[in-house]
Amino acid sequence: MQQYFYLKKEDLGDLLSEINKSHALFIPSKKDDDYIYLSFSQLQPEEIIYSIYRGVEPIKSFLTHSREIVNEYFQSFDSSAEAKPIAVFGVKNCDLSSLTLQDFVFEQGIEADPIYKKRRENLLIISSDCTGFKKTCFCLAVGNKPYPEKNFDINLSPINNGFVVEVGSSKGETLIRRLSQYFTAATTGQIAGSKIKRDNVVNDLSQHLASVNMPPKDALQKNVREGYESGVWKEQMLTCVECGACNFICPSCHCFLLADDMRENKSRRIRIWDSCLYANYSRVAGGANPLNTRAKRLRNRFMKKFDFFPDNLGQFGCTGCGRCIEACPAKIDIREVLKALAKK
Amino acid sequence: MKNIYSPIKAVIENITEETPTIKTFHLKPVEPIVFRTGQFVELTVPGIGEAPFTPSSDPFIKDRLEITIMNVGRVTTILHNMKPGDVVGIRGPYGKGYPVDDFVNKELIIVGGGVGLAPLRSLLLHLFNDMDKYKRVSLYYGSRSPKDIVYKRLLPQWEKRDKFDLTTTVDMGDETWKGRVGLVTTILKDFKVDKNQAKAIVCGPPIMMKFTTFKLIDEGFKPENLYLSMEKNMSCGLGKCGHCRLGKYYICKDGPVFTFEQIKDLHDIWD
Ligand SMILES: Cc1cc2nc3c(=O)[nH]c(=O)nc-3n(C[C@H](O)[C@H](O)[C@H](O)COP(=O)(O)OP(=O)(O)OC[C@H]3O[C@@H](n4cnc5c(N)ncnc54)[C@H](O)[C@@H]3O)c2cc1C
Ligand code: SF4
Ligand code: SF4
Ligand code: FES
Repeated sequence: MQQYFYLKKEDLGDLLSEINKSHALFIPSKKDDDYIYLSFSQLQPEEIIYSIYRGVEPIKSFLTHSREIVNEYFQSFDSSAEAKPIAVFGVKNCDLSSLTLQDFVFEQGIEADPIYKKRRENLLIISSDCTGFKKTCFCLAVGNKPYPEKNFDINLSPINNGFVVEVGSSKGETLIRRLSQYFTAATTGQIAGSKIKRDNVVNDLSQHLASVNMPPKDALQKNVREGYESGVWKEQMLTCVECGACNFICPSCHCFLLADDMRENKSRRIRIWDSCLYANYSRVAGGANPLNTRAKRLRNRFMKKFDFFPDNLGQFGCTGCGRCIEACPAKIDIREVLKALAKK
Repeated sequence: MKNIYSPIKAVIENITEETPTIKTFHLKPVEPIVFRTGQFVELTVPGIGEAPFTPSSDPFIKDRLEITIMNVGRVTTILHNMKPGDVVGIRGPYGKGYPVDDFVNKELIIVGGGVGLAPLRSLLLHLFNDMDKYKRVSLYYGSRSPKDIVYKRLLPQWEKRDKFDLTTTVDMGDETWKGRVGLVTTILKDFKVDKNQAKAIVCGPPIMMKFTTFKLIDEGFKPENLYLSMEKNMSCGLGKCGHCRLGKYYICKDGPVFTFEQIKDLHDIWD
């Protein structure tokens, strides 16, 4: 099957409406300067918009939940039995790139997480190019493009009066076959047009990042490693209130805690997103705690993202989405930490 | 697909009191749990929580397992209050366990501290199954005081074995104690082994592991021949929850046994 199609702008709503018949579809909705995902069924046709940059929620929130039951003791249990598969429209590349990390954790390794695996297999991803960016975006500085390259089913690149639609998976291919009435073959001119738009965004974002003065991507792992004993961790961590917002909003963070819960005489195991900035994250029996200061915990977060993941997966554990910068009540800025480490 | 968070039911058949704070739980799982020596399991008290432990029994026994547990906190206190007939859950086994094939035809120095003798007991039982394979096994065991020595009932039987010797010490003696007094590092000397070839296997509290490692390196043992049981906070045991990271490794998945060579350049390994 060919890879590029053309979708008319006025057909977008109908296409999404069709997808919503087979899936529980979530689409971005504008709220102040941000986008939040809302259920397609709750929105009016005129509320269907093309988001120019990422939404507030990370894509991981469709795959693991902040708190969920994962087992009922000694009984067969299937929390993955969800009524309708989920589809998400308007996913940007910083989220797509984080899927490589989440998949590595939950699908690969010694055993796959069956709950994640089922949700992931069922998830339909309709991604789209960024046509603008937030001031906090720095995907390019960690090696990610502001347009999708992988991990999508179909991707929309806007051109005048429509979209170039790229097929990214067999699931995407099936979708286009099924809803072929909305698609025609894309012309080389249309494809070239979408590429020019991409290049323009890359240029604008590069200029913005030059003004932010981010250290070069290839030096990040080295800087973090060599900065292990530096005072930067403490200096940057003075204001942290240990809320965990930076972790929970992060599409790349995956840590969780298993805990047990007893209700109506039934015991069950719950899985909760955990935060490495919490004081007890690494506490062991007897009370010893290797990460007993906020500075050590911040360093641990950076070692995980910029040392562990490059070593184990060849990719940073940060996709440059900038969410943690906006979420932090203490104004701790990952870019500033990386810059300060580069200076030492 | 298998639910990786779901434990197998196991019944406590018997409980042996080893010391005032350490008990061995004899468990019969409803389906066999086959582990290799040095692998660990997550032991669940339903509705309360779980904690990682290394079985201390003979890995060749498939239908039962024993776990030796020190009472140190929330889950272990509840375990210590349980009775024969009570039901627990077991997930696992996890981790790589001891690379026993590397021990064949070697002189083995085994160093245990406190409840750290538990995983080593399963290793010893594994070795005892076929002692022809190994040149010699020397166990060095240190505990805080005479009453803290685990497996008191078993040590005299082990001592009678061929090609095996045992040296014990306590940090602090009492009126009954006639043996050595001093930290375990004080008995790690005058080795009559080929230090280039011999393997040393160490398990105990972090501080003991640290000084034992330094001592053995000082004595001339090779970093690649030193096998250390590392410990960190664990939740999943599966390489997913992120808690047990040690440099580029997860202890649960890549360990819990590492050679010193593997980890010596990592930060803060003894914390
Ligand atoms: C690979 C491995 C093998 C081990 N083998 C043995 C062994 O053979 N024998 C032995 O005695 N010990 C062994 N240990 C140590 C043993 O796991 C700990 O002693 C045990 O976890 C203590 O659990 P606790 O709940 O009683 O202790 P606590 O000190 O109460 O808690 C210990 C852990 O549970 C968490 N925790 C405590 N309270 C809560 C709560 N309310 N909610 C959520 N989390 C909580 C803490 O953060 C900490 O991580 C081993 C450890 C590892 C990593
Ligand atoms: S660390 Fe911050 S910028 Fe990087 S992926 Fe996570 S939330 Fe986004
Ligand atoms: S969001 Fe900011 S204050 Fe909250 S835990 Fe993260 S760094 Fe600390
Ligand atoms: S215990 Fe969860 S990653 Fe090791």
